[in-house]
Amino acid sequence: MYRSQQLALKYLTAAVALFGVMTVAGLLSAYYYINPDFLFGILHFNIAKILHIDTMIIWLLMGFMGAIYWFLPEEFGRELVGIRLAEILFYVFCAAVAVVAIVFIVVQYGNSNEIALWFINQGRKYVEAPRWAAIGVVVVMAVFAYNVLGTAYVTGKVTGITAVLMIDLVPLLVLYLDAFPAISNMSADLFWWWWLVHLWVEATWEVLIGCIMAWTLMQLLGTSRRIVELWLYIEVALVLGTGILGLGHHYFWIGTPSYWLTIGGLFSALEPLPLLGMVIHAVYDAGTHHMKTTNRPAFYWMLAEAFGNFLGGGVWGFMITLPQINLYAHGTQWTVSHGHFAFWGAYACGVLSVIYLVIQKVRGLAYVDGTLWKWSFAALNMGLVGMVGALLVSGFAQAFVERAIGGSTHEAFMLGQDNHWFVEGMITRFIFGLMFVAGYVALVWDLLTIGRRAPVLAAAGAAE
Amino acid sequence: MHLNDPAFWRAGAISTVAIMSAVLIMLTIDSLAAISPGGSNVPLYTVINQHIDYKFDERRGNDAPVIGGPEPLFGKVVDAAQAEALIDKGKMVIQSRACIDCHTFFGNGAYYAPDLTKAWLDPAWETWQAITGATTREDAMVKFLMNPETNRISTRAMPNLGITQQEAEAIVAYLKWMAAVDTNGFPPNFGHMQSKP
Amino acid sequence: MSEISLLQSALLLGLYVALAGGYGFVYTIARLRDAIMLQQTSFILYGLHGLTAIAIVAWTPLQVGWKGLIVASSAAFLAIPPITWRFLQRTHETEVQ
Repeated sequence: MYRSQQLALKYLTAAVALFGVMTVAGLLSAYYYINPDFLFGILHFNIAKILHIDTMIIWLLMGFMGAIYWFLPEEFGRELVGIRLAEILFYVFCAAVAVVAIVFIVVQYGNSNEIALWFINQGRKYVEAPRWAAIGVVVVMAVFAYNVLGTAYVTGKVTGITAVLMIDLVPLLVLYLDAFPAISNMSADLFWWWWLVHLWVEATWEVLIGCIMAWTLMQLLGTSRRIVELWLYIEVALVLGTGILGLGHHYFWIGTPSYWLTIGGLFSALEPLPLLGMVIHAVYDAGTHHMKTTNRPAFYWMLAEAFGNFLGGGVWGFMITLPQINLYAHGTQWTVSHGHFAFWGAYACGVLSVIYLVIQKVRGLAYVDGTLWKWSFAALNMGLVGMVGALLVSGFAQAFVERAIGGSTHEAFMLGQDNHWFVEGMITRFIFGLMFVAGYVALVWDLLTIGRRAPVLAAAGAAE
Repeated sequence: MHLNDPAFWRAGAISTVAIMSAVLIMLTIDSLAAISPGGSNVPLYTVINQHIDYKFDERRGNDAPVIGGPEPLFGKVVDAAQAEALIDKGKMVIQSRACIDCHTFFGNGAYYAPDLTKAWLDPAWETWQAITGATTREDAMVKFLMNPETNRISTRAMPNLGITQQEAEAIVAYLKWMAAVDTNGFPPNFGHMQSKP
Repeated sequence: MSEISLLQSALLLGLYVALAGGYGFVYTIARLRDAIMLQQTSFILYGLHGLTAIAIVAWTPLQVGWKGLIVASSAAFLAIPPITWRFLQRTHETEVQ
């Protein structure tokens, strides 16, 4: 195994661990809606939420990095350049994440000065980590980019997938620089912040996961490089073709000119079209292989990726993207419903698929199947869909009562929060959150034990 | 057949990304002018010296801020430098306390606490003014921010974040300025209850 | 927009895309299995999608430009599954399985 692949295993392990932290923080955040006095005066919703959303970003990033560290040495045919530095930085990264989280929990707030921004909490969503840690993230990502670009330079060997990846790493890194400024003008602050958030999760990350899925498909289904590269280019064209100006769907209400209502709404409305193509492609691949594969969990998580992306991003997104609807849905639990579904489908399922593929290689398994992964798959997906459905009901109630009827005053907000549909939605969300937690526990147990529990039944389905 | 050739689609991807990025950059340059203080959509910080309102604009078909006559904040007219200092401080407080992780600003943030886009115009301050004996809306807001946990009119209370008098005044100035930003009508019908819920 | 038409419009829009997805999904399975019944089912799903588009145009307070986009997108949704299928066939036919 290449050293880079050993590093990949570390990143993927850290990713799964942070997925757990994210889940616990999410459960805590959800509980505050049911019992607002919980830990009042000790730990509040905003800190729980910060832990939840920041670990989400980091576990997915670590999942991407782990996947890329796994696939790249085989792609380049050699160890990655600068791997020793990357190995050291992995531990620095993990230590930094731990310190930042502990400071969030224990210190929580500083005074309103630069010291607080540098060492405690920057207070901008997803990028709350203090500046010292943001510098650390830049360093980690820069070395990651060096590992990739440096190896390409030394080998002189650039495949289509690695070329797309390398080009994608540049905006990925540059966009993160918006994690540093503290612009006083909220309109300008949010304008640039959305460059980072949207052009990460609806552009550069889509390309990243596209590259990772390309390698995964080659190994999982034996698809040829020519085909995956061809489809990768089509995907990049369609997803970025709609997503770059789809950024405008965040520019409806932040003080930007009204032409964004048309431009953002139009391109955002087109975003589901490539996602439909992805569903068809996934079904085609599954069908031509007669649903047979040597790695059933990896295969099913990849199918979940295609369908989750379409439903969470496409269907749920389309419901709220047109400006006339968004005016009422904006900043409600409806947004939360879409966000959870889209992130799960677009990224989490894909990372889990890769993790199972890597486990197959690492444990030398001819065939990967079992019972536990199915329980985990069911509980995680049903838990997630249950949460999304509950949040949709709460979101409808909130948009209805607070925005449409109440005019979004403080009183209207509280009437919305106290509305019985809203409250029941929040309770239901929590219950499905518990199901999700159970699925996570089953996932971890399965990842630790699959292929190790019983003799591998190599004959029973491997020969397809 | 070139449709089968990855190079054809690679060229398509490159040109699509290039064109869309170029359009985005052009629109960004235009938007940045509009959202700078004093631009078409975002007022100068000295707007905090004036009366702010939010009314339906028939021509545009949405609610829009209306800037009125003199209405100094805390009874003090501020010049451009003083206004900017207040706004800078207000934003620094908002970031240091991670307000955006409970509240929303222009609908962006977290959804556990009310949206603050038009908080300056919220009718609830009249009630809070009466309860606290504050002489003005801004004094009522300051009193609230310094001891929010004492405001328990609903099941969900805001925690005490150690906000000082100076910080609270800066937040209030910030919220007053924010209420004057033209958000294309968000939030809709602010303060006009349509019907009983 | 009234609060009721808000919910109605949003649900119609979500259903619109979901039915398009359903049509694409069933169409692909139908082509994989060469099953006429399934192909007809897929077109029924597309028909329902079309009805949703008509409902959006007729009953929602969206502006005319957006209604035009809905109609145009419906045309695109109709074409995407067969075009994608043909393209998948063509790109894979030269592969040695």
